[in-house]
Amino acid sequence: MNARRPSCVMMAGLIALAAMLAAAPVRAGAETLLRTRLNADIRSTDPGTNRDANTDGVMAHLVEGLVAFRDDTSIGPMLADSWDVSNDGKTYTFHLRQGVKFHNGAVMTSADVVWSLKRWLDPATQWRCLSEFSASGIAQIEKIEAPDTQTVAITLDRATALFLPTLARPDCGQAAIIHHDSVGPDGKWIAPVGTGPFKLGDWKRGQYVDLVRFDGYVARSEPRSGNAGAKTADVDRVRFNIIPDSSAAKAGLLSGALDVVSNLSIPDLEDLKGRPDVQLSITPALGLTGILFQTRDPLLKDLRIRRAIALSLDTPEIVDAVMEGTARANNSALPIGSPFYGEAEAHGYTQNVAEAKKLLVQAGYHGQPIKMIANKRYSYVFDSAVLVQAMAQSVGINIEIEVLDWAAQLDRYNRGDYQSMAFTYSARLDPSLSFEMLTGPKATQPRKVWDNPEAQVMMQQSMMIDDKAKRQELFDEMHRRFIDDVPMVVLFNGSEIAGLRKNVKGYAGWLFAQPRFWGVSIR
Amino acid sequence: MLGYLTRRLAMTIPTLFLVAIAVFTLVRLIPGDPVQVMLGDNTDAAQAAQLRAQLGLDQPVPLQFLYWLGHLATGDLGHSITNNLPVLPLILERFQVSAVIVLVAVGLAACIAVVAGLIAAWKQNSALDLAIVGGATLLLSIPSFWLGLLLLLLFGLKLKWLPVIGYVPFSENFWQAAMFMLLPIATLTIVEIGVLTRMARAASIEVLRLEYVTHARAKGVPEWLVLGRHVLPNAFAPTWTLIGLVLGHLLGGIAVIETVFTLPGLGRLLVDSIFARDYPVVQGCLLFTAVIYVVVNLIVDLCYPLFDPRVAVA
Repeated sequence: MNARRPSCVMMAGLIALAAMLAAAPVRAGAETLLRTRLNADIRSTDPGTNRDANTDGVMAHLVEGLVAFRDDTSIGPMLADSWDVSNDGKTYTFHLRQGVKFHNGAVMTSADVVWSLKRWLDPATQWRCLSEFSASGIAQIEKIEAPDTQTVAITLDRATALFLPTLARPDCGQAAIIHHDSVGPDGKWIAPVGTGPFKLGDWKRGQYVDLVRFDGYVARSEPRSGNAGAKTADVDRVRFNIIPDSSAAKAGLLSGALDVVSNLSIPDLEDLKGRPDVQLSITPALGLTGILFQTRDPLLKDLRIRRAIALSLDTPEIVDAVMEGTARANNSALPIGSPFYGEAEAHGYTQNVAEAKKLLVQAGYHGQPIKMIANKRYSYVFDSAVLVQAMAQSVGINIEIEVLDWAAQLDRYNRGDYQSMAFTYSARLDPSLSFEMLTGPKATQPRKVWDNPEAQVMMQQSMMIDDKAKRQELFDEMHRRFIDDVPMVVLFNGSEIAGLRKNVKGYAGWLFAQPRFWGVSIR
Repeated sequence: MLGYLTRRLAMTIPTLFLVAIAVFTLVRLIPGDPVQVMLGDNTDAAQAAQLRAQLGLDQPVPLQFLYWLGHLATGDLGHSITNNLPVLPLILERFQVSAVIVLVAVGLAACIAVVAGLIAAWKQNSALDLAIVGGATLLLSIPSFWLGLLLLLLFGLKLKWLPVIGYVPFSENFWQAAMFMLLPIATLTIVEIGVLTRMARAASIEVLRLEYVTHARAKGVPEWLVLGRHVLPNAFAPTWTLIGLVLGHLLGGIAVIETVFTLPGLGRLLVDSIFARDYPVVQGCLLFTAVIYVVVNLIVDLCYPLFDPRVAVA
């Protein structure tokens, strides 16, 4: 019996130690630490190059561009205080903010802007958005000049409405203005020396990324809006923990080991709703989920069958069931949150079972199977596919669901190798880009779902015109044709759901579903 | 001994070569393209082609294999497509995490299972035997992710004794690291106890029936001495073989446990790389796993004579 005593004592000691560690305060000394979660590690610290959505989200805290997207997806000033556009729409003259400091203490001048922009345009940088400034892109940059230390002039070969939105795109790294110390003498990337409210701290691959408050940051005077406006770091450090498993992340939030968990899945909502120590932030987002049809398929090339599927669906019911009230039905390519989403875009498909059956008879459809690819990476995509299958079955359409992993589905999507597919598109912040991701010639771009030459012309026009009313006309007309052609059935735009501990203040989601931790504090 | 070792090591070369071919081919057969995964749904054809060329993925597959094999011969497993890091250091870093969990858990499980198996065999067909066998079967049937989540909920959320997420290396802070490791180790230990107890019991029953055990008992040797000196060493040899197999299997990755407990181990690296179609890392992980398997089994074989003197290594 005596031999057992030491092990009991040890066990009691271990438990006591564990309890002490678990009860250890979040704040070490005076430091305030905000702990959040990424579902996968960032790819690099080089914005706009080797990147993904997680990388973009972290980098948005470290670097800034000349302009940035506001909450309503309009363009606002960031490092540029203002800009003038020449009468021919080709030359943009940016007037820089004074006294902006890089993380190394250097004051930003036009020379830094010119150096950064030229680096982006150097093919060796492998900038994701370089092709946008090639002959086949939105426009080519002919000149970048710095008439004085606070002014930069950029001349394009043609006018385009997409120049500023492209500079502001998060996946383009917001065309960040960085200090040349960010790269070594050989031009190789070291670490971002940007102008953001946070500096890069420790990056332990596979574990966490730490961002540290930049004390030399001077915030803009306008309120926070999207990636624009005032960005004040109200915590000393933000830790992005890499937690792939959503159950573990949820447990982390409930136990208090995490302060903010963004990108929560719909099934997590119910669990978190009644918790007294957790608050939820639900924001409409710009992503788009829908059912794609391969219009070159022997069966689905028949518009009547595609229309019959569209008319068999009760979209609001699907959205309510799948998104549990966090999103609204939308059949338009333009997201509901877009400033261009108007009365025309609100007109979509209304369930009409009789009409659907009639169309199927006219098309001579006799229950031939239609394969629909889906994935389980995004639960709402699979759930949507199941409901579409059930509703289509009620009019006699035989849909068979094939579940693939995301990479395999993406491969099939890019090759256009499918009959139909439940798919989700990432957010596009400009309405022209919302149509651009769908419209194009299938012969050269098999991933494009809508091959309508007239729509492609209208889409190109919308990229050139800056006049809002004229753009609205184009988008309205494109929407009408999109609904008529039924190349896909858009079901809904997603929503950004974040769970926060009750002591987190100032957190707000926005249309672009990326968490922002400037203006967020812990009390 | 040295000759045996040399022969065994020489035999691993063709094995690993075949594994290399199989791994490379299988990885390429998985549908999906790493470039598309990197670029997402906004893939520009020219950009994708440029990236593909930069990664060497535009070359014919046999050429890619020869290139990989050439580097492999010099110990270079290539660079990750996702983050451009050299694969071997990445694997070794992650392997340390998995190895600690697996070695401690299997060690603990073996200690408990061998004793439990011996007792169950000694009291064969009694209520105690039934309880041990039933318990082992139950533990064997519990999925590790479910058990892990239950422990997480109990000790992390309800009792708040242990941290729920995160990882601290032992080199940084021993006690904190131990706190983070307790639950994953406990989960794996509980599951492996089930596997090993059944084997230990079966082996002990066989030995208990042998004549020298009856002879020892007839001589009046105390029962604890019969079990400890005559039964245990002889019954342990088959269990030791199973421990080797279990170790080889688990050291290759405990992806589920690492995912549930957010540990940056080898299994999670492999799974993440498969989803990202990061070919060099997937190939590296699988090859490394094969090497570990071979090495662990070699060590088990070399240790076998310690438990069963009838087996000579030569």
